[in-house]
Amino acid sequence: MIDKTLFIKKSNSEIILVQIYVDDIIFDATQDSLCKEFVAAMKDEFEMSMMGELSFFLGLQVKQTKDEIFLCQSKYCKEILKKFEMEKCNEASTHMPSSCYMDADAARKGIDQTKYRGLIDSLLYLTTSRPDIMFAICLCARYQANPKESHFKAAKKILKYLKGTTNVGLWYPSHSSIHLISYSDSDFAGYKLDRKSTGGTCHLLGSSLISRHSKKQSCVALSTAEVEYIVVVSCCAQILWLK
Amino acid sequence: MCDNTSAINLTKNQIQHSRTKHIEIRHHFIRDHVNNGDCEVKFIETKLQLADIFTKPLPKERFFFLRNELGILDSQNFF
Repeated sequence: MIDKTLFIKKSNSEIILVQIYVDDIIFDATQDSLCKEFVAAMKDEFEMSMMGELSFFLGLQVKQTKDEIFLCQSKYCKEILKKFEMEKCNEASTHMPSSCYMDADAARKGIDQTKYRGLIDSLLYLTTSRPDIMFAICLCARYQANPKESHFKAAKKILKYLKGTTNVGLWYPSHSSIHLISYSDSDFAGYKLDRKSTGGTCHLLGSSLISRHSKKQSCVALSTAEVEYIVVVSCCAQILWLK
Repeated sequence: MCDNTSAINLTKNQIQHSRTKHIEIRHHFIRDHVNNGDCEVKFIETKLQLADIFTKPLPKERFFFLRNELGILDSQNFF
């Protein structure tokens, strides 16, 4: 078990799932009676109030309808924009130019590390519902030790993109198949400083995205086949865990 | 799904090649699982490779295409 605050109880073919974060609890079951049983048991032990259907949890806004679930972090996104004084900036259509070239930029003067790290950290939490900006943030995060003006500019570009897309989030349709399909891809020696490659995988159950990662590989590869092979292996490891 | 045929072939056969012999043993654990049928590696053309978005900066049209395919949508479209 990777998440120590997720509890699962199985009885016959029914399942109840309970996720706890400090004093917030979310739960659901395949049968209503299990839910009621759980609520009664919890009320005996603790003082608690029922908030009804899940709509907000850890900054994550949840909208549920009969056919779909929609996750977004628009409130959190607006907070970030406010925190870094980018509320009135111009919107950008993409988060980074396709010809983006980033290096250590050693000749330039450094900028405030605390502010840069704060920005990266805030953005990293946003990737929960916004995997589209994941690569850009991870790229910016690599320069946290010695940030320069050009890196801050790139991070600001992400904020500008977010300004125009605050309402974007993850969409989970309820009527989709349960075939697990995983995609793995990588670039080749894309990172300019040590020529290591970045690998990315994503796993889709039917048409809903359930897991993804983007990571710089730990070794330098000699050929594209080798790079792709390494990503496929990490993808396989994730599939085995998901199973 | 992988968009590199050589990598797929590497997962299927045990043949050592002069260009692949340096790959570390731990990366070869997939061969075992492919053999057992735990997973299957298939080819997909680069155009439909959804994991592209996590590995490199992309042009605008391609970025939006992949974003939609992954189910990352604007809430205004349906609420």
